[in-house]
This record gives sequence, C-alpha cells and structure tokens, in this order.
Amino acid sequence: MSEENAVGWFCAYTPLEILDAAGLTPLRRFGDPARLEAADALLHQAICPYVRACLASVTDGEGAGDAVVSRHAVFVNSCDGMRRLHDAWRARFPEHFVHLLDLPRNQDRAGERLLAREFLRLLATLEDFTGRTIDARSLREAALRREERRLAYLERARGSSGAARLRLAMGFQSTPADEIPGTEAGGTRGGGVPVLLTGNLLNPEGLVSVLDAAGAEVVCLDLCNGDRAFSSSTLPAGDDLEGLCASLARGYLERRPCARMADARRRADDLVKEVRGTGARGVIYAGLKFCDPYLYDFPRVQKRLREEGIPLLRLESDYADGHVGQLLTRVEAFLEML
Amino acid sequence: MGLVEDIRDRYLDRLSPATFRSRLFWRTVDTLARSPLNRPQWKADRVSLSYFIRATRDAYLRRAPVVWSNLLFPSEIIIGSGCIPFYPEMAAAVVASAGLAPRFIDRAGEEGFSSDACSYHRCVLGCALEGFLPEPDLLLAVNYPCDSAPLSFSFAADLYGVPHRVLDVPLSGEEEDLEILAEQMEECAAAMLSLAGMDAGEGRKKMAEAVSFSNLALRAMRRVEEMRKRDDCTLDGKDAMGGVSVLAGSMGSREGTEYYRLLAEELEERGCAGGGTIRLMWMHLKPWYAQGIFDALERHGARLVCEEYTHATWEELDPERPFLSLAAKVAGHFLVGPAERRARHLARLARDYRVHGAIHYNHWGCRQSCGGAMLVKAALQEIGVPVLTIDGDCVDEREYQEGQLSTRLEAFLESLR
Repeated sequence: MSEENAVGWFCAYTPLEILDAAGLTPLRRFGDPARLEAADALLHQAICPYVRACLASVTDGEGAGDAVVSRHAVFVNSCDGMRRLHDAWRARFPEHFVHLLDLPRNQDRAGERLLAREFLRLLATLEDFTGRTIDARSLREAALRREERRLAYLERARGSSGAARLRLAMGFQSTPADEIPGTEAGGTRGGGVPVLLTGNLLNPEGLVSVLDAAGAEVVCLDLCNGDRAFSSSTLPAGDDLEGLCASLARGYLERRPCARMADARRRADDLVKEVRGTGARGVIYAGLKFCDPYLYDFPRVQKRLREEGIPLLRLESDYADGHVGQLLTRVEAFLEML
Repeated sequence: MGLVEDIRDRYLDRLSPATFRSRLFWRTVDTLARSPLNRPQWKADRVSLSYFIRATRDAYLRRAPVVWSNLLFPSEIIIGSGCIPFYPEMAAAVVASAGLAPRFIDRAGEEGFSSDACSYHRCVLGCALEGFLPEPDLLLAVNYPCDSAPLSFSFAADLYGVPHRVLDVPLSGEEEDLEILAEQMEECAAAMLSLAGMDAGEGRKKMAEAVSFSNLALRAMRRVEEMRKRDDCTLDGKDAMGGVSVLAGSMGSREGTEYYRLLAEELEERGCAGGGTIRLMWMHLKPWYAQGIFDALERHGARLVCEEYTHATWEELDPERPFLSLAAKVAGHFLVGPAERRARHLARLARDYRVHGAIHYNHWGCRQSCGGAMLVKAALQEIGVPVLTIDGDCVDEREYQEGQLSTRLEAFLESLR
C-alpha cells in the first residue's frame, strides 16, 4: 500500500467497495483521543470528541493514533459533526482528495434514488482522481471481497466480547481489504452477565474495558465502530453500474441504522429484538458527548426499554475516557441488579 | 424586583396549558397587541405581530390542521396547502424572551435530554411534555440547518402520536436531485391538503397564491436590503434579527408580503441617520432574553448593520413549477452543506454592508454554527474583517455571563476604533 493509495474514512456508511474498486485502500481513522485539545484551533470544544480526535491526530503532521498518514479522505454527510470534520479537513488539506458523500436520512425509495446517484457521482470523482476506469465487474468483485471480509470478521469475533471484540472490529476497519488484522479475539464471552452495548463510537481502552472488568458479557456490540458495520450484507446485484449502485444504496440504507436515520422507531424496535434474541439481561447505552443523534435518541430508547421491562444504564464517554475507572462501581451495581 | 420579573412571577409563571386554549386569553392578547400601549418601532412589526398572534391562536384553537416545521422548511408549502405552520424553534425564542425557558429546559432534562443538546430544542420539548404547545397534525423538517430539528421532531411525533417526515435536501444541487426533493414536497402538500379537507384544484389555486405572495415579499425584501446598505440606516440588526420568524414562518402569506412592503416604505421615508458608527455584522442568533449586550454596543457607538439569517438567499419562485423552485430555494441556502457556503455568504454580506467587524455568537449545543465558527472567522479575516467569537446560549439565560461578555465586547470594539 502506498500513501497515495490510502484514503481515510470515518463513518460506517462509507461505501468501501466503491473505494476498493477505484484501486484505493480505505482505512478507517480513529484519531488520537489523548490529544483532543490539539483540535481547539480548528473546532469548538462542544463538538463530537471523535471528530476532534481525528483532527487532533493530523494537527502536528504525524497522524498519531492512526496507522495511515495519508490526508486523502472520504467523509459522509451523516451528521453535523462529520460535516464539520469535512470542512476543517478540507480547509487544512486543500491539495488532497477530500470528498463529502451525501447520505439521506430516509430509507424509502426517494432515499435510495438520492444515494444511488450519490454513489455514481463518487465513482466519477474517483475516476478523475485515480485516472482509472471503474466498471461493473470491478465493483462487483470489490463488493464480493468486502462481503467475504464481513463474514471473516463475524467468524473471528464469534465467542468474543467486550474490548477484545471492539479492537477486532476496529482492526478490520483500519487495515487494507486484503489483510486480516493480527488482533486476536478474546474477552469474557461465557460466564459474565449478558448485556447489549449500544451507542455511537467508543474507545476500546475506555468504557468497554470497564464493562469487561465489572464482569459484563457484551453479547451485542451495537456501535458504529463495532458490529454495526458488519451487521448485514451490502452485496449488490445488477448488470451495470447504475443497477449495482441502486442495489448498493438499498443495502446501506437497510443496515442496522444509526440514530441519525429518519425512522428512529426502527432503532428502538431492533434493540428490543436484539435483547430478546441474544438473551441480554440489560442494555448499556454509552455514547460520546456532543453527538446529537444519540443525545436525542436516548430518551426514546429509555422509554421503550422501560415499557418492555428491560433494565438500562446510561454512561457517557469523552472518547479519552480517563475518568472511567470511577464508573466501575456503577457498572458493577447495575450488573448485580440484573 | 424589576417590573419584568414581577410580571413574570405574577402572571407568566401561572400560565397553564389550558390558558392557551381559551378564546378569552387570545382576545386579551389581541386587544393588548392592538392597544396604543403597544407601540412597535416599525409599522411592519404590527403586521407581523398580528399575523403570528392570529396563526398561533388558530393553532391552539385548532381552526385548521397544524404543521410543525423547522427553520428551512418553506412555509409557502404549508400555507399553500391550507394548514397552519408552527415553528417550535421560534416558539423557544418567545419562551426565552419571556424568561420562562429554564423551567421547560429542566423538564426536558428530567425526560433524559442531555444538557449538551441545543437549548432551543430542549426548551421546545419541555414545553411539549408539559402540554404547552399546539398539538401538531403533522411534523415536517428538512435535514438542515442542523441535526436537532429532525431528531427532536421525531420524539415529538411519538409524543403526540402523529406522523413525522424528514425531507432530504440533496447536496449536489443538480436538477435531477432537486426533482426528487420536489416530489417529496409535493407528497407533503398532498398530505396537508387531505388534512385540510381541500381538493387538488383548491390546492393548486392556494399554492399559486402562496407563490405569488412569496415573490412579492422577496421583491420588497430586496428593497429593504438596498436601504440597509446605506450609511447608518435606521433599522438596527438587533431588531431586524427578530425578522427571522417572518422570513421562516410567513413567506407565502399576505402578511409576509405586507411586512416587507411596509418596512421598505418606512425605511425609504425615514432615510438614514448619518454615518460615523462602527458597522458590525452579527452571526448566528442573539440571546433572546437579554438586552445588555446590545446596550453595550450602542454605548460604544456601534451598530449591527446586517445579521446572518435575515437576508434573501433565493431567486423568485416559478409559478409553473412551484415545488421545483421551492426545492431550489432550500437547496441553495447557505446553511445547506459545507461551512464554505456559509463563509461565502457571510463574506459577501460583510463586503456589501461594509462592516468594520463581526461578532459570532456561539450558541451552546449548536454544532452547525459553533462547528463552523473557526472557518467563518478565517474567511472573514482573510478579507480584513476582524471577528469576535463569544460563547453563550440563545435560550437558557443561566448560561449567560453578561459581565464577562461585556468586557470582551468592549475590548473588541476598542480594537476597531
């Protein structure tokens, strides 16, 4: 992999198969949670810490916290935070390939049409950037490789829980498509108190480790850097690029939804189903500060889980999670109650 | 205790949800608004006040279907479909200016809404939870300018058990994408016509009328803008900022047109007060509950000559293709998409209105505005406009530090002399 071919990505809705088909190496950036203040000159402090960590990691030109130092990046217009990260990135790296992919909130026919057209525009932009033609065959092959990789993750992650599972998921997202990450699965699956962990994006060294230490067995890692990106297939069907992009758009919109999607009821329904299906005895709702989709999602989920009699614990993360040791007692008390 | 606090404690704090649903209350409000005691600064303000009192009364008394919508959703569609538009974000500003926001913000907190979220929406949701807002029949939001409206509307829709729809505004601006948005707008209009019990023919006629009013308002608005560009026009930005509600909530109505027509005429009649002041631009919105910051500006001989949200940003609507042109109106707004667009809009305003400096009010929890503040600041500094960014909260007065704010403001104004 050369630096020129590497392209950073940030949101679980990024169509990696399209980037692969363009001959690029998409690698997810997780930023540098330990140096959030380094982003102060570019973004207000009341912005998502993941976004700030990603910016912080490139403020000194070293790319701390991320393996890749390339500044090429594809952003998804999924939330205010991501849009602002795109703005700051584009302003800082005007000479690099920086693309903002629009993402509808609606999972209906109009949403599919808009997203399919957006995928086609991305293809054209990538052809300009790489000088390489992307045809239906290369996209189909790239999608197949992505599907195999998704299944490989699920296979490797089977039986593992908590921080180890999250590290594995992140490894699968931040290594080249033809490389299986070295991180071994592990964790405490079997023997702990089964819980479902839901939220946006967490640092495996922070809150998730506290759950492990407290004796929780995370049976579902519903996080955007966890299982969500691997939860369902996006393998497209179609004879030409238009057909494949339409199918791909459907696949992405039908995925287990982020709280930013229009049909918020579906997310609460899915969570209840998942709790019933996995035998989780409670839900841990852990989110990064300043993430609006999850700040507004929580009261609805709380209400729904109460109605279903499912215990819930809310935890908050600043991504660096220096304080989380103090949460151990709270988590232990919650698990005892279960 | 001051008069305002006294009135608040005696009367406002005792308001109940039932009060707003009583005809007597609205008759009293209407009488007070029309009385000689209420002397608005501009004739146009009387028109907008009367419009909003009537629309809000009709919404509470359920005289037509009520549709909640957010700042960038075109009111022309709602008015043109026989429904009453209700803008909760503006309701939050009214609640804040009455000094009642903390109570409702705390209520939303009890429901689980984090204090890291926008206080406009926490205030609105607190009001909704307490039964203080007019019940919607439908909630419509576009996915800009921020994430908060589609998300908080979704919660409110569940609370009231009514449908909620978010319209995706495409970034590309390409006609084929705009047509997809226009189709969605047309579907919304059909749903509203059905709620209002109107047929398609009546709907077309009403929509044509709304488009015509909107275009007339736009022409008058441009006259207002030309007047405001002159040296020290007598309309101050702190007052003009209130026009954000007119711009969002009354386009497509006769009164919206009348407001801008009267304002343009009165500005032309009054002329200008003369130059010699520090000309400033205000970015984002103001703290609705406090006047002190603007008094400080006046003391230092500074005026707000323009403000971010109250300028015309679209072309006249095409009566032959109303939905497509409304789609273009929304998609072309500077708050849609990357902050570069916003920075370009603000740089253009700064140049057109020849400002000496600009103030960015960082409303807590506003990711779109605070998030773009650094980029906007850099863009303005590049064209030689110094920028002061101040942290505060437009709705929650408990987050307002007037002393600290005034000190920074004074230092900034000194630097502009």
